[in-house]
Amino acid sequence: MPLPAKAFQHWLHVVAPSASTADICRLSGIKRTTLAQQLVRGKVAESTLVSISRALKRSPLADLAAFESYADLAGRPQPPTPAELVSQIATMDLLRAVISRSAPAYGGYGDDGSALTPALGAAPHATSVRNWVDAIDDGELRHRVSDATGVAPQNYSAQLTANRLSPELAVATARAAGVGFTGGLVATGLLTEAEAGWPPEAKQAALDALSDGELTVLAGERLQALGKTLRRQEHEQEQTKKIWENLG
Amino acid sequence: MMATLEWMTLVVCCVALFLRVPDAVRGRNRTVFGILFLGSLCSVLAVSELYEVIDGALGGWDLTSLILRYLVFATVLLVGLRVTSGLAAARAHQLISGGIGRWALGLGCLAVTVAFFLTGSSWPPAGPPAQGAGGAGDADLSPWFTAAGRTYPAFVSLVLAAPLLAAVRSRLPRLVRAGALLVLLGAVCAALSLPAALTPPSWAGAQHFVNYAAALGYVVGLVVFWFSGLIASPSGNARARLRRNRN
Repeated sequence: MPLPAKAFQHWLHVVAPSASTADICRLSGIKRTTLAQQLVRGKVAESTLVSISRALKRSPLADLAAFESYADLAGRPQPPTPAELVSQIATMDLLRAVISRSAPAYGGYGDDGSALTPALGAAPHATSVRNWVDAIDDGELRHRVSDATGVAPQNYSAQLTANRLSPELAVATARAAGVGFTGGLVATGLLTEAEAGWPPEAKQAALDALSDGELTVLAGERLQALGKTLRRQEHEQEQTKKIWENLG
Repeated sequence: MMATLEWMTLVVCCVALFLRVPDAVRGRNRTVFGILFLGSLCSVLAVSELYEVIDGALGGWDLTSLILRYLVFATVLLVGLRVTSGLAAARAHQLISGGIGRWALGLGCLAVTVAFFLTGSSWPPAGPPAQGAGGAGDADLSPWFTAAGRTYPAFVSLVLAAPLLAAVRSRLPRLVRAGALLVLLGAVCAALSLPAALTPPSWAGAQHFVNYAAALGYVVGLVVFWFSGLIASPSGNARARLRRNRN
């Protein structure tokens, strides 16, 4: 559930007592109508709070933790597991790592790697949400999340497929999996890795810690999933084209 | 209300027809234009006032109502063939174009012709019943003529229902699915209009509603298909997706 408007306004009053709504919107780049609508409805989106917090150079994580539904985020956050970190590496970066580890004849640098390998892209990536859930799933996770939140499994899956997950569900998923609460917020793009308190080299270190076999299997799985998605899209495109050829 | 429905259907058909004129001139999908042309012709004949005029010109013995049925059959046949090949529904296409479909069309034509002459021979000389209204004078036989005229459309609509439903439930572009949904609603109404023809005259309102809703569903659905293709941008293909994948 998004943040209650009353608590949000209280928070806003504490962090920026002298700023008007117009100032806040100008600073944070939120449309005034958007904010007004959220306040009228009584529910303020988490992303609104994060944008304002960022604009005021505060910590979005700490500010989010000030709200009752995100109280779990308070205190020292549990660091992400290596699997979570690797899940936030884009598929193309994983493939690049495979090539980078290969023999020079194939364009790689051998076992040692090289400073020439480009840096990993920042999370989130195109399939970061599903990859995150897959990384922490023990096989029963989706059922537990569904039981805890009342969200139907097929709705949950649909969100994953669309690479979306509401912050509330992201936190509920982390709780059900027993991992740190920041993973889902990073995977959904609500927080950056730095805002979540992840060390800057954490992803690279987790990637380097993978054995060649682990890395190759993981890259292969990702590539297969990407191939499936592309094939499905191509098939749908074909179908659409056929409809337009005959009826358009 | 009946007059409103009749005129509204005519206007919608004509608007759809005019929208397709440029494409037809360019030679693109002339069959769809043909479908809409036949559909418009049918809806002209379905307007009571215009029907009287045309039927008067043809001798005034209600031959026009028989012609109208044949036109409807032709329109439905073309729609069935086009929609099934568009949706790549090979089995449904085979059902309509193959032996079963030809038998259905033949039997439909036979039924409507027989019903026409049986009904016609029992008409009083004062004047035959108004078409489509379920028969003003001969409530006993003319519903059978109406029902016979709806057999083949109902057959094609039932065949189309499954592939249309699959298209509605697919993950195709939203407008395409909206078009499929509209055609599906039209098909359901067309199928329902067959039993509706045999309901008592007190149900005339509902009878007319399903009949015109069927026509409107088909025509507006075709327009939405056309429109969805018109606004679709050529970008967004799979290769672009692969390039974007790093985002």
